[in-house]
Amino acid sequence: MKKIMLVNISIIILSLFLVAGSAFGLSEVYKNNIYDPGMLKPKDSVLNVKVGERVPDFSLPSVQGGNVTLGQFHGKKNVVLSFIPAAWTPVCSDQWPGYNIAQPIFDKFDAILLGISADNIPTLFAWTNQMGDLWFPVLSDFWPHGALASKLGILRSNGTTERATFIIDKQGIIRYIDVHDINERPPLEDIVRELQKLK
Amino acid sequence: MYQIIESNPDTKGKVKLIGIGAGNSPFEVNYFSETYKIPFPLFDDKHYEIHEMVGMVRTPYFFVVKINKDGTHKLTYTQLGGFKTPEEFLDLILKESGLR
Repeated sequence: MKKIMLVNISIIILSLFLVAGSAFGLSEVYKNNIYDPGMLKPKDSVLNVKVGERVPDFSLPSVQGGNVTLGQFHGKKNVVLSFIPAAWTPVCSDQWPGYNIAQPIFDKFDAILLGISADNIPTLFAWTNQMGDLWFPVLSDFWPHGALASKLGILRSNGTTERATFIIDKQGIIRYIDVHDINERPPLEDIVRELQKLK
Repeated sequence: MYQIIESNPDTKGKVKLIGIGAGNSPFEVNYFSETYKIPFPLFDDKHYEIHEMVGMVRTPYFFVVKINKDGTHKLTYTQLGGFKTPEEFLDLILKESGLR
């Protein structure tokens, strides 16, 4: 941290803000609507896929209406799948808003972000409404419950998904997998670093 | 508010703004700063050390610290949440700090 010389300064205004994410759903926007499940087992699943493999195609309902299919991006966009465990919980509630201001990064690398959880559509709708307008599709893996998460090997024993990121290239091949400690938010630079490799 | 502070000879050089990104990495804070062209210093608090020190507050949260002539300091005002206009907020904190 830089040292600041205090000579001649009468008052300092410190502003605590968040760009993207915390363990607490810190934004005042959420007020008392965040359910804190406490510290969880960092990982609770066994991955079924590997870097270099093709992702099984999927079609999931979108909060924005209709379905989104992985295949629709084939040959056009790199795809970043951001799985979060549960709506209205800490970390998750700051993670996606953070990606919201990072749209130029995704555009720069010809990438689309798909936010996915095993919550149902009405829950995701109410929760993401608090975030303002999201530029990326939000998809529900609710029914059959966690089917996509299960195929990928990131469905936890309590029916939520891991906090996992997959980066899939335009040919549908997995280029990066991060099954992150569920209690922590993956930093934005991890996605940037991996997208840069696709250029 | 930064522009107001810097354009007023009564506050320029006397009032400083610092931003702290609770839980944010240096990359994220830098990205935010460049995206929104923030003219004042921003600091990362990736491991919530500062956030914990100040009581794990919600955000945005403002602390106004008055620096006394003898180098001691005093917390003169705190606020959770944003403000209506920068002019009103600056006026309020200057009054609370005894500078207006």
